[in-house]
Amino acid sequence: MVEQLGFVALVKLVEVSEEHSNDFLNFDLRAFCVGRLSKNRQHTEADTEENAQTAEIERRIEQETKAEKHIQKLLLLGAGESGKSTIFKQIKLLFQTGFDEAELKSYVSVIDANIYQTIKILYDGSKEFAQNDVDSSKYVLSSENQVIGEKLSEIGSRLDYPRLDKELAEEIGNLWKDSAIQETYARGNELQVPDCTHYFMESLQRLSDANYVPTKEDVLYARVRTTGVVEIQFSPVGENKKSGEVYRLFDVGGQRNERRKWIHLFEGVTAVIFCAAINEYDQTLFEDEQKNRMMETKELFDWVLKQPCFEKTSFMLFLNKFDIFEKKVLNVPLNVCEWFKDYQPVSTGKQEIEHAYEFIKKKFEELYFQSTAPDRVDRVFKVYRTTALDQKVVKKTFKLVDETLRRRNLFEAGLL
Amino acid sequence: MASCAVRGGCPSDYVAVSIAIFSMISLIVRTTFPFLIHKVPSAKRSAFWIPVIQIIASFNFLLSIAMAINFLKYKKSHWWLSCYVWAVWFEGPLGFGLLISCRIAQAFQLYYVFVKRRLPPIRSHMFLPLILLPWVAGAAFIHEKKPLNYRCHLGTHWIIPVVSLHTLYVAVLMGFTGAIRHIEFRFDELRDLWQGILVSASLIGVWVSAYILNEIHDDILWLQVVSRFMLLFTASILVLVFFSISISQPLLSQISLRKREPIELKTMGQALGIPDSGLLLHREEAVDVDPNEPLDKLLLNKRFRQSFMAFADSCLAGESVHFFDEVHELGKIPIDDPVRRIYMARHIINKYIIAGAAMEVNISHRIRQEILTTTDLTHPDLFTNALNELIQLVKMNLAKDYWSSMYFIEFKEEARMRCCGQEMEEMTGYDFSPRLSSVHASDDPFHQDHFPRGFTQDNHASYSH
Repeated sequence: MVEQLGFVALVKLVEVSEEHSNDFLNFDLRAFCVGRLSKNRQHTEADTEENAQTAEIERRIEQETKAEKHIQKLLLLGAGESGKSTIFKQIKLLFQTGFDEAELKSYVSVIDANIYQTIKILYDGSKEFAQNDVDSSKYVLSSENQVIGEKLSEIGSRLDYPRLDKELAEEIGNLWKDSAIQETYARGNELQVPDCTHYFMESLQRLSDANYVPTKEDVLYARVRTTGVVEIQFSPVGENKKSGEVYRLFDVGGQRNERRKWIHLFEGVTAVIFCAAINEYDQTLFEDEQKNRMMETKELFDWVLKQPCFEKTSFMLFLNKFDIFEKKVLNVPLNVCEWFKDYQPVSTGKQEIEHAYEFIKKKFEELYFQSTAPDRVDRVFKVYRTTALDQKVVKKTFKLVDETLRRRNLFEAGLL
Repeated sequence: MASCAVRGGCPSDYVAVSIAIFSMISLIVRTTFPFLIHKVPSAKRSAFWIPVIQIIASFNFLLSIAMAINFLKYKKSHWWLSCYVWAVWFEGPLGFGLLISCRIAQAFQLYYVFVKRRLPPIRSHMFLPLILLPWVAGAAFIHEKKPLNYRCHLGTHWIIPVVSLHTLYVAVLMGFTGAIRHIEFRFDELRDLWQGILVSASLIGVWVSAYILNEIHDDILWLQVVSRFMLLFTASILVLVFFSISISQPLLSQISLRKREPIELKTMGQALGIPDSGLLLHREEAVDVDPNEPLDKLLLNKRFRQSFMAFADSCLAGESVHFFDEVHELGKIPIDDPVRRIYMARHIINKYIIAGAAMEVNISHRIRQEILTTTDLTHPDLFTNALNELIQLVKMNLAKDYWSSMYFIEFKEEARMRCCGQEMEEMTGYDFSPRLSSVHASDDPFHQDHFPRGFTQDNHASYSH
């Protein structure tokens, strides 16, 4: 059909794409059309159907332009490993068709990779601690486990990982249970140990089954560092089945090199969902082991808030990984992070957890108001406590987000 | 004559000053011309600043000679016209010292990279002030002691340490350059350095003789005038010759004012003469690509790599594939050619590895540090760990989407057409990737949009009626 596009229609397409503020999304289309313009010059004469088709195309273009204006653009931003892609997966599960068997099976290699990489990090870490630490004996493995460790470390540095079988699973399990590895894991914040470690290491038998098909939970726990930009379009269908807003959600990589790509997405954003993992106050960055993760998140949030494109954009701050935070905050005080150095614990148990959480929330709110110019004060800012792995929590949170955005839309349209 | 020899303003002085001005103008034109006319993007970091500092230093040097040695008649009442400012500070730390220090910084970098095969431990912007310290100390000391006479001349006792400092620096420059003389540089670095040494050595020679003549024959006025003229004249010519755009980036060094050849070289691979770099030759077979084969094997095929690279670029994740491409080019350079390997390795590091680089790749801190602190830039496995990490990243992010993208469909079509020898049919459908919709491709935009497996096929079908 494209071949039969008339010259006029192609020009129209180029005009439409140029109107769109988001240059990047329509880049390919524009390039394609411009390329086509030159090729199609010889077709312009003597095609009487052309006029009818041109009219049809123009109608479609108008429809599309109208539709584009109704689509709300949401960005998932945040530092590396803050939970953006997990939220993204959850949205896919909640509002799209979910994962079918083929897609679930495609995660087997990802989960295998996670396991091999994690055990390698732990084993190499134990060797490093044994060398450098004062109390080195507790990081020394038993001799059989050392042999296993060397073998697994070699597998972990390969490009293609073998499928996890019962034998390997048992070896990994034995290594995991070794006290030296457990001691190393206790100091996992000094290494780049992923959050899914415990979950996968405790399920090795199930994961090594020959007919293993990952569950939804396994897929949510699987860790894949995102590079580039991914998007989905969805509509959260309400309970009364009225068609809701159409959202286009973008997921990005969080590491420093990936952030230079964010700028392509900043135009015309309805809301930014900023993910901050609150358990990371004692960890360092994957891409820079000299920098504390919470400090990086703080600076990044500040930077995002000050972006000129986000003058009227709503900000939804997801204070994520609450489940890990709960367990950590009672053992590791918040003051290890420079930003929280004025924190004073008040009690123990659940109360303390709540107190610590409120403290962090207040810090972020203070940062928001510090970084927001007076003329932007009326943009929406909401903070949510999330655990991206928990579908109920995400569903509830998103419902609140959706409501907030709808209310804001009505307000903007002058109907509220 | 007598008065003009003492107070300045002789005709020869004006001639010398105009020559100096002319040479400064030519220097500035020569530096900015490539950027303005050929519209080359200005290089970053030391490649940009060192030439700029050299120009400023040249200007200071010429100016100091003009101001200090009574060329022009002017009142010396203001502090900024005083002798010490020009003859001591502007001539030393801000003039000659700075000029030579820039060259030493360059030679130091080259020495570290090509002889020791490591990245230099100190960055240029810290190294330069460091080696300028002796000049600053010396100038401060002279300023304290105030040995200059009313005609801005140093006494014989002072001339010796001052000239030795100048000569020492030239000797250090010679030392570093001598250490790298056996390296076959690609971009005239050695020639530039020897030029710099020759120039600075002759300058010192002229300067010393002029000063000696000035001192010994203080009363012979015509000698004063002549030696003054020679000093400024030689300084002007030599400053121009001394300077050249001395960076080892091929893009800029290929540009000459005469524009001999058109600028064809777009990649470092081409500039280094790596075979088949950047070209898509016919003899590259159209391999039947099997998605089940490991990605790194498939990427070795150039056509597949180009197609995959275009797809990755459209998803804003292209830097990893470009990195793979350039490391692959590096692999083509034989092990027994360390100089070219070092050029390519440095280029890759500057473009992909350094934090904040133009196409910085997503690798861990440890792997980055491993590369930056390597003790052997020519090692064949320098980038292996980074490459593995990135191939894993690309496999898990892009591979699946690529197989269902238009890029792959086009690739298969091209392969089929080439092997069947027909004219390539024009492809229907937009360049579409399910990862990022460049077009809102659904027919009915008000319905919920999914991207199910068969989507591209449906899309393809609906537009090809």
